[in-house]
Amino acid sequence: MAHVHLEDGAFSLFWVIVWSVAALCLIWIAIYSLNRKGGLSTRKLAMAAMCVAVGFAIFQIEIPIPLVGAVHLNLTPLIGILVGPGLGSLCVLIINIFSAAIGHGGWGMIGANTLVNIIEVTLGFYLYRFLRSTLKLGRFRSGFGATTTALVASAFAVVAIVTISGIQDSAQSAEGTLNNMLLLAAVNIVAAIIEGVVTGYIVSFIGRVRPDLLPDLEQERGTRVTASSQEVTQNV
Amino acid sequence: MSRRSYSRHIPDFRLISHHAENGKSVVHSTNAWTKGALLGTVLVLAIVLANLYILFVLYLLTLAFYVAGRLPLRLLVGWYSLPVFFVFTLALFFLFTEPGNQLASMSILGTHVAITDAGILLLAKLMVRALAVVTFSLALFMTTKFQDIAAIASKSLPRPLANIFLLSYRFTFETTDEVSDVLDAMHSRSGNLVRGVTRQTRLFAGIFGLGFIHAFERGERIAKAMEARGFAGKFPQYRELGRPSAGGYAFVALAIVFCALALYLRYVDSSLIGGL
Repeated sequence: MAHVHLEDGAFSLFWVIVWSVAALCLIWIAIYSLNRKGGLSTRKLAMAAMCVAVGFAIFQIEIPIPLVGAVHLNLTPLIGILVGPGLGSLCVLIINIFSAAIGHGGWGMIGANTLVNIIEVTLGFYLYRFLRSTLKLGRFRSGFGATTTALVASAFAVVAIVTISGIQDSAQSAEGTLNNMLLLAAVNIVAAIIEGVVTGYIVSFIGRVRPDLLPDLEQERGTRVTASSQEVTQNV
Repeated sequence: MSRRSYSRHIPDFRLISHHAENGKSVVHSTNAWTKGALLGTVLVLAIVLANLYILFVLYLLTLAFYVAGRLPLRLLVGWYSLPVFFVFTLALFFLFTEPGNQLASMSILGTHVAITDAGILLLAKLMVRALAVVTFSLALFMTTKFQDIAAIASKSLPRPLANIFLLSYRFTFETTDEVSDVLDAMHSRSGNLVRGVTRQTRLFAGIFGLGFIHAFERGERIAKAMEARGFAGKFPQYRELGRPSAGGYAFVALAIVFCALALYLRYVDSSLIGGL
C-alpha cells in the first residue's frame, strides 16, 4: 500500500492545512454524491463499517516477505472494489483517523493520507470495472491489474505530495527530496505488486464464495455474476 | 481486557478501551472536549516549534500527561516502535543527504556518503515531534470513555461519517479478534510465516478474504437487526457530554496562547526570544 508514512511535524502548518482542505473537499463531494443517490442505507452503513474494521485490523498485520522484509497492506483498492469510490472514500478517512489515534501516521497527515487513499479506492474501483466488464478479464487478473495500477499511481502521488510540501526544517532542495522519495516509491511499488496479487486472490475468493458482493462491477454491465469453477481453479 | 494483540509494538484497541473505561485518575475525569482541544494545540505546537530543546519540553509535558493518567509506561515504550520506525524510514535518507558539517563518512561501492550534523538534528526534531503527539494521542484515547468519544464524533462529524465511525469502532474489536484467531490457527498448525512469495501471498489472501466474507455476512445480519429495531439513521446517545469546567477552559486558553505565541515567533518575528 502507498501511504505517507510520516508523523506529525514532518510537514509545515501551511501544507498540513492545504492537504487537509483538499481532502475535505473530496470527502464533501463523496458525501454529496451519496446523499444524491438516496443516502446511506442501513445495509451500506453496516458494510462500510465492516470494511473499515477489517481494513484497520489487516492494516496492523505485517507480512514477512523474503528479500523484501515485511510489508503491511491496507487493501484500499479492494475496499473501493467492494463498496465503490464514494463510500470507500469515507471508509479510508475513518481508517486514517483510527490509525492516527494509535500513532500509525500523524493527525496532521490525515488529509494527505486520505487524498492518497482516495486515489487508491477510486482507481481500484474504476480500473476493476474496466478490466472485468470491458476487457472481460478474469477476477484475479482484474483485481491484480486494478490494484497494482492504483497503488503505483498512489505511490507517485505520495512522492508528489512530499516533494511539493518538503520536509519541515530540511535544507534539501525539491530535487534532493524528490530523489529521496523516489527510493521510497520503489519500495512502495514492490509492496503494490504484492498487494495486487493478494487482492487478486481475495477478489477471486469472494467471487467464488459470495459473487453477490461484487454486483455493481459485474452485474450491471451484463457480465457473468457467478464465476465458473474452471475460472476459479485457473485464477486461484 | 485484551485477549492478545498482534505484537507488543502495535497498540491494542481492547487494551486502550480497558484503560479508558476502568482507569481512575485526574486525566480520566477531565472533560473529553478539553482533552480534544489540548490534542489540537499539542499538534500545532509540534508542527510550529523549531527549537529542539523546547520541543523536548513539549514531549516531557505530554509524557507527564500520560503518567498523570496512571497509564503503563512499558506499554508506551513498546508502542513507540511504529512511529519511531516511520521517522527512521524517512530520516534515513535525509541523514546522509542533508547539507551540513560532516560527522562521519564512508564509501559504499565507490559512492561517498556522509552523516551530517544537520541530518542528525533533523532526525531528532522529527522524532521528538512525532513522539510528543503520539504520547498525547494515546493518553487521550486511553483515558476517554467510548460514550464521550461517541458524543464528540456525533457532534463534530457529518452524519454519514459519524455513523460509519461509531459502528466501525464497535466492529474493530470483533474483526481484530477474528483476524487474530485465524493467525493463531495458522501458527498452531506449525504454519511458518516466512515462505516463498507465492505461497505467502496465497496464505494471507485466504486469511484476509475470509475476514472480508465474515465481515460482510456479519454486517448484513447487523443491518437487519438495526432495521428491525427501528434504526432511523442516527445512533442514540446514552450520555450527554457536558461542557468543560472553568479550569478546563483556562487550561485550553493557556494552550491556545502558547500556540499563538509560537505561531507569531515562527512566522512573524523570529528574533523574539531567539525564535522558538
